[in-house]
Amino acid sequence: MQPTAMVAPVPPDPALETLSSAQQHLRIPKVRSRGKFTKWLAICWLALIVFTAIGASWLPYVNSSCDGVSATEKKTCISHIDANIRMNERPPSWAVWADAPKNLPGAPDRAGWFGTDRNGYDIFARSMFGARTSLLIGGLSILFGLLIGGALGLTAGYFRGWVDRLIDGVMNIMLAFPALLLAIFIVGFFTDSGTDAAKNRPIWPIVMALVVLSIPPLTRLVRANTIAYAQREFVLAARSLGAKGSRVMFKEILPNVVPALVSFALTGMAILIVAEGALAFLGLSVEAPSPTWGKMIFAGKDRLQDGAWWISMMPAATMFLTILSINLLGDIYSQRFNRREAIG
Amino acid sequence: MRYVAQRFAQMIIVILVVTFLVSLALRFLPGGTDVAVAAKVGAGATREQIEAVKDELHLNDHFAVGWLRWLGNFVTGNWGTTFGSNQPISELFGKAFPVSMYSMLWAQVIALGVAIPVALLSAYRQNTAIDRFSATSAFGLLSVPNYILGPVLILLFSIQRKWIPYPSTYVNPFESPIGHFKAYILPVVTLALPLYASYMRLLRADLIGTLQSDFITTARAKGVSTFSILTRHALRPSMFSLMTAAAVNIGALIGGGLIVEQLFQLNGIGRVMVESIFKREYPTVQYGVALLAVIYVVANFVVDLAYARIDPRVRDARKLS
Repeated sequence: MQPTAMVAPVPPDPALETLSSAQQHLRIPKVRSRGKFTKWLAICWLALIVFTAIGASWLPYVNSSCDGVSATEKKTCISHIDANIRMNERPPSWAVWADAPKNLPGAPDRAGWFGTDRNGYDIFARSMFGARTSLLIGGLSILFGLLIGGALGLTAGYFRGWVDRLIDGVMNIMLAFPALLLAIFIVGFFTDSGTDAAKNRPIWPIVMALVVLSIPPLTRLVRANTIAYAQREFVLAARSLGAKGSRVMFKEILPNVVPALVSFALTGMAILIVAEGALAFLGLSVEAPSPTWGKMIFAGKDRLQDGAWWISMMPAATMFLTILSINLLGDIYSQRFNRREAIG
Repeated sequence: MRYVAQRFAQMIIVILVVTFLVSLALRFLPGGTDVAVAAKVGAGATREQIEAVKDELHLNDHFAVGWLRWLGNFVTGNWGTTFGSNQPISELFGKAFPVSMYSMLWAQVIALGVAIPVALLSAYRQNTAIDRFSATSAFGLLSVPNYILGPVLILLFSIQRKWIPYPSTYVNPFESPIGHFKAYILPVVTLALPLYASYMRLLRADLIGTLQSDFITTARAKGVSTFSILTRHALRPSMFSLMTAAAVNIGALIGGGLIVEQLFQLNGIGRVMVESIFKREYPTVQYGVALLAVIYVVANFVVDLAYARIDPRVRDARKLS
């Protein structure tokens, strides 16, 4: 028999505690924060991209109407005003520089910052409209992916038992299903390649495909986080006070999971913007005339041999900087969050 | 042994469910069986001819029946021929498999071969200029999609400097090692650079944890050389996440190398699969999916077994349970 005195709680030794915390403090590797400069650079770049994406159709770089265009050009101008702007269809403010007609594709110069492709479409204007589509697809996909995956992960992690096993089983099957096939199936279901539907395919089949692809990893991440928090004392306390399951889930666990979710959202969005480009490679993205960055890169890829590098490299550079900025912000955010976790 | 049996059963269930779902999904793709039939009969075929072809290809059956028939053929190894060109399916995959296999293999070898020393160096010299440089470059590499990296490499090495022929064609390494190298260097680098970045980050993070453990301090106190501490003591227990990632990537690179295969015009598994989907070659897609699922599960399984060899703690824990 153990003496009952052993059961009495041992008051923590203050000396030991300070020592261990000091030790811990020493042991936590100093998280090198990426300089403030880089962070602001990333934020500025993203702000610029979002600004051009929103303002693509009314910024003075492109025509918002075909009023000043000569009568012969008017018809093509109207058909191109949506996203594909030609040099000679620029608003009057650019007329100073749009001097002699050039060979197509035209190299980047002061009149067209990113050059033009073989049809004479301005790459800079297309990049702005591409930013709009790419960001919209990436943003919507990660939003819905987080809502669905987050709900599933929270449920699985909180209830455990058969619910957990069921959700985990479904996710395993989804993960074993080749991602590309899944995307082709989903986009294929909603588009009949034989009809006009394919000619202006809306963004939502693509969003849907990306959402389905993003659900399994997001569910897993949220589930793992939920399990970690569900075992903490404050959850036990809430439960023993008689809080209902839904209250514990949404008021106690969810707020703790949200910071992790934000950094998933950022990196996830970057991944999905890249994935949209991969779909574009198979001809499964939005159809012409709307450009996306991915589509522009592929369209210009075959022109590399002719020396017209700007057709694909300009949107590629824009895309790379955007992905890099999003990843940087996600990284900075998760570092800050982790450090708070580790110390406090 | 029980563990092995369990994993085996799991693998079979996954393959069954996935192929069943694939056969279901294929049938519901727009265009459906008509696309497959159109490839077989020319324009202006009569109704009877179409029906005959449909019967011949078993396209009138319920998809579940088709799946069962496919399963029987898959198990017996009687894979049949493609709809369109009557090429034996096993031959089709037999040709495409080495193409994808080599690019996967070389990419993994290069990525691991560079990532392990760099991670050791930057974990050991944490927060120095070397560490900072490798961390920043890895971060940058992770933000480059392979369809940007590929064209950039083509532009630099095939177009501006005509060092590497483009497009590259598959060359057997045993016939012409130099031709093989030329054909594979750009696609493999495209695949390997982002892989290297993710491997390096994983291993560095784990190594930093390991280097703070007591047994490292003990080894250091005993006077073991730094090189020996890093390679013998620290590396082994830090390999777990790296090995898991590498195993997952075996399957992902073989089946998902599509973009790189398309960019460099290599006829690998990914390209065969996508073409088969667009042509509605139902059995071919099924075999491909099953093959990839087998590779995926087997790779994971092998890594699980390898864990036990690398870390005795895992082996003992499994024995106890």
